[in-house]
Amino acid sequence: MKNSENNFKTLRQLLKLKQHEIPPPGYFNTFSDQVIARLQSGEGRAPSRTERMNEQAPWLAWLLQLIDARPGVIGGFATSLVLLLVIGVIISDRSDSMPDNILTATTATTDSQPTASLASMPTAMPTADLVAASQSTGIVASTNPVTSLQPVATLFGQSSGSPLFRTASLMGAGN
Amino acid sequence: MSMSEPTPTIDPSTPAGMLEGDLVKNARRGDFTAYDELVKRYQQRIYATIYHMTANHEDANDLAQESFIKAFQALPSFKGGSTFYTWLYRIAVNKTINFLKQRKNRQHMSLNDLDFNAEHDPDLMALISDKTPVREVGLSELQQKLNAALLKLSEPHRMVVVLHDVQGVSHDEIAEMMDCNIGTVRSRLFYARQQLQGFLAEYINPA
Repeated sequence: MKNSENNFKTLRQLLKLKQHEIPPPGYFNTFSDQVIARLQSGEGRAPSRTERMNEQAPWLAWLLQLIDARPGVIGGFATSLVLLLVIGVIISDRSDSMPDNILTATTATTDSQPTASLASMPTAMPTADLVAASQSTGIVASTNPVTSLQPVATLFGQSSGSPLFRTASLMGAGN
Repeated sequence: MSMSEPTPTIDPSTPAGMLEGDLVKNARRGDFTAYDELVKRYQQRIYATIYHMTANHEDANDLAQESFIKAFQALPSFKGGSTFYTWLYRIAVNKTINFLKQRKNRQHMSLNDLDFNAEHDPDLMALISDKTPVREVGLSELQQKLNAALLKLSEPHRMVVVLHDVQGVSHDEIAEMMDCNIGTVRSRLFYARQQLQGFLAEYINPA
């Protein structure tokens, strides 16, 4: 360890040689003048957008240069990307679409229930219970729009005055 | 009792007598006289750092000028969080490292001459007369070997050695200039010295 430190000491002595390297005589007499002259000639202006891009994002500048130099290759690459995107969209559409049998089953269920039989529907839960249930489970108590509207109509005792209730009656009469 | 020479008084209204902060403020407004004074204050240190990194006078000249030009352009963004000197150094360090990375494997040395004092430096004299096995080695040969060894280091390691062992910059300041923590500076310095020691074994290790 001591030997290593000793060696570093010798190395540092050797590195002192670098401090004795000096530029040509009179070099620093004109250095600042050269810098100021370059600044006054317009180099001190803010860099242009392209210059900034070259400095901050050289990869982007390189890409733009490549596009300029080889438009055919880049065009082909872009076309293949677009094709991939289109194929991806088509595939995702197909997988998202609902199967036919589910749709038929839903339609059949709604058709078989007479709309007029509102009275026969299960007694609506009080709104407070519905909210509490949905908050505790994170699941809405019912997805049936008629059932969920029912408490609103009955809660305030508006049996015939409510437009909602009237609509339901009309629908029932229509069937 | 000897009479001491009267110290020259510097007029604080002239750029040479102005504080760094005032010079920076004026330069930011586009005052070239103020910026000229800032360049004069730091030109030697900035040039020397870049020269020791590149081992090439022409490259050092270009990079030092470009560093000062870039600093002038970036003055509006200088918030004063660090000293102007540290901030300027950071610009020069980044510019030099980027330059060296781009021209990797195309390193050409163009060394400056040694000053007269080198031949009278006791440390250097001891090295070439006592310690080296090749006793007749001259200072200029030693200079060549030393620069070649430095160029073998990676840029960050070389920068740490140059800033600390050649320029005498503290670990804290190097950390700020190189945007890294002080532990990194110390470990880089240790590793770089070890590497250099290996490259220069015949000139360093006692016979």
